Amino acid sequence: MARIRLHELTKRFGRVVAVNRLSLEIREGELITLLGPSGCGKTTTLRVIGGFEHPEGGEVFFGDRPVTGLPPERRNIGIVFQNYALFPHLTVNENVAFGLDVRGVSRPEIARRVAAILDKVQLAGLGERYPHQLSGGQQQRTALARALVINPQVLLLDEPLANLDAKLREEMRFYIRHLQREFGITTVYVTHDQAEAMVLADRIVVMKDGLLQQIGPPHDIYQKPRTAWVADFIGLSNFIRGTVVGRQDGRLTVRTPAGTFAANGAAESGEVLVVLRPESLHFSGSHPNRLTGVVRERAFLGNLLDYRIECAGHLLRVQADPSRVYDPGQQVELTFAPGDAWTVTDSGDRV
Amino acid sequence: MRRYGLILPVVLFLIVFLVVPYINMVRISFLVKPAGAPYINEFTLGNYVKVLTDGFYWKILRNTFWYALLTTFLTLVLGYPLAYAIARAPNRRRPLLLMLLIAPLLVGVVIRSYGWLILLGRVGLVNEFLRYLGRPPVELMYNELGMIIGLVHVFMPFMALSISGALQNISPDVERAARSLGASPWKTFWRVTWPLSLPGVFAGILLVFVLAVSSYVIPILLGGNNVLVIPMLVVQLLLDAYNWPVGSALAMVFFGLTALLLWAYVKIMNRSLRWSVR
Repeated sequence: MARIRLHELTKRFGRVVAVNRLSLEIREGELITLLGPSGCGKTTTLRVIGGFEHPEGGEVFFGDRPVTGLPPERRNIGIVFQNYALFPHLTVNENVAFGLDVRGVSRPEIARRVAAILDKVQLAGLGERYPHQLSGGQQQRTALARALVINPQVLLLDEPLANLDAKLREEMRFYIRHLQREFGITTVYVTHDQAEAMVLADRIVVMKDGLLQQIGPPHDIYQKPRTAWVADFIGLSNFIRGTVVGRQDGRLTVRTPAGTFAANGAAESGEVLVVLRPESLHFSGSHPNRLTGVVRERAFLGNLLDYRIECAGHLLRVQADPSRVYDPGQQVELTFAPGDAWTVTDSGDRV
Repeated sequence: MRRYGLILPVVLFLIVFLVVPYINMVRISFLVKPAGAPYINEFTLGNYVKVLTDGFYWKILRNTFWYALLTTFLTLVLGYPLAYAIARAPNRRRPLLLMLLIAPLLVGVVIRSYGWLILLGRVGLVNEFLRYLGRPPVELMYNELGMIIGLVHVFMPFMALSISGALQNISPDVERAARSLGASPWKTFWRVTWPLSLPGVFAGILLVFVLAVSSYVIPILLGGNNVLVIPMLVVQLLLDAYNWPVGSALAMVFFGLTALLLWAYVKIMNRSLRWSVR
């Protein structure tokens, strides 16, 4: 178990800067997710931590030990890849035993530890099978067992659930979380799936074009995005353009074409975008922020009704419980709490 | 039934041009060779007795298999690193490398033999260079060495192609996983990459061995009159000595031994590749 520290990490591929001066500290036993669209540098960062890529600049520390120049085999890491990367010519037992075997652990000790970890990931009895004789979920757990059996100081997961079907993926999120807590192992988890990041992470690191965009606990990332891009990338967002015209009771006053609202925010003056989540707009209620619009579309999502509501030139996405139904063409009034309105600078680079 | 219909033309072609001539050859191998005619319709086992008891034929059989094995071994040793380099090359450079690899096959064997002459001949590049260094010339052509050089050259692409195909199928993540688990690059190669490339290695060995053991033109062009292999000997028996029955019998014995060898080989191969059977 170790703290991981990245200091000013830079990795280039030719002229492309894949990771740009990334500094990050991961606490002992913490699970952080690197989240971003493809090409944002998250996988490259993971590979640099694992020692599979050599950074042009910066340092990687495990605990207080610099490991930047060390090859992967001397870092004591466990890693699970998207395609699991099991050894197809070895049985489940042999796959899991591989890391212990190359470490020179004695045969009886290997047998004992392999049996114990397979039991833990509920694969007892499947040890003699070859990877192609396993289901996707079983392969996934074999890969986890193989990575964990060597007691690594760091666990690296590269989109480990991306190849599973939706239902299994959901279950495995909780399972991985549970396993990680049990082992108390410092974990870096790469994903492009924000729901996965939300469920799993102690903290989320949002990346884009090799640059760190925001780091924080899931609810902070969701409720207090630092930029329009983060707000747009994480969850659904409505954006209303406006100007900060003043300050009242510790809140910003923002004038927009749809009305003047009280809001909190990352941008506190000038031209801003007001971020409104679809679930924080309500058809009734006594919230001080009000706007009116016309229902344009309605879709049934099962637990929710999904509306598109035209309001002062904006098409707002509103998700509401289905107890009360509004029809297309109907004029409606929407209200929202000042705490649910969040301002960001319009950097012009939404997703 | 429709599936069988699709392969019917090929089956007919093979029956007419392969199976029927083969059956005819088997027939001739059991007939008597009189003076003045290739054969007469009279049954005998004498041709086989002659082939199987004559030490000369056994020696040539042994040599032929030895040359083929040596060629196969050398193409494997030289072709594997080549295949590895091609398989691990950047995607955009790989087509060019593959092109270069098969380029020798685009040149006919006769034209290529002139190339060998320029390189390996008595006044070829290698010997001229040796003379420049004040060294005595080396016999590089018209002997076993020349033939082996030629065989290795021609069959290398088959070995390298089939191995690089297998290597490309190995996900780099599998090798990364081995490294993460504590295996050095050397250990990763021997415990992961090599076993996973075995399907390609086995296929390459099979291909090169079959091609080398039955090769005829290269032993003639580069072995000159100093090397004799079974295909050359069979042709000599059929065309020069006009002895169709003994020539056929020798061809059958050669075929039988090769088939036996391949059967044993495939057995070993299937055992080694059990993990890949789905």
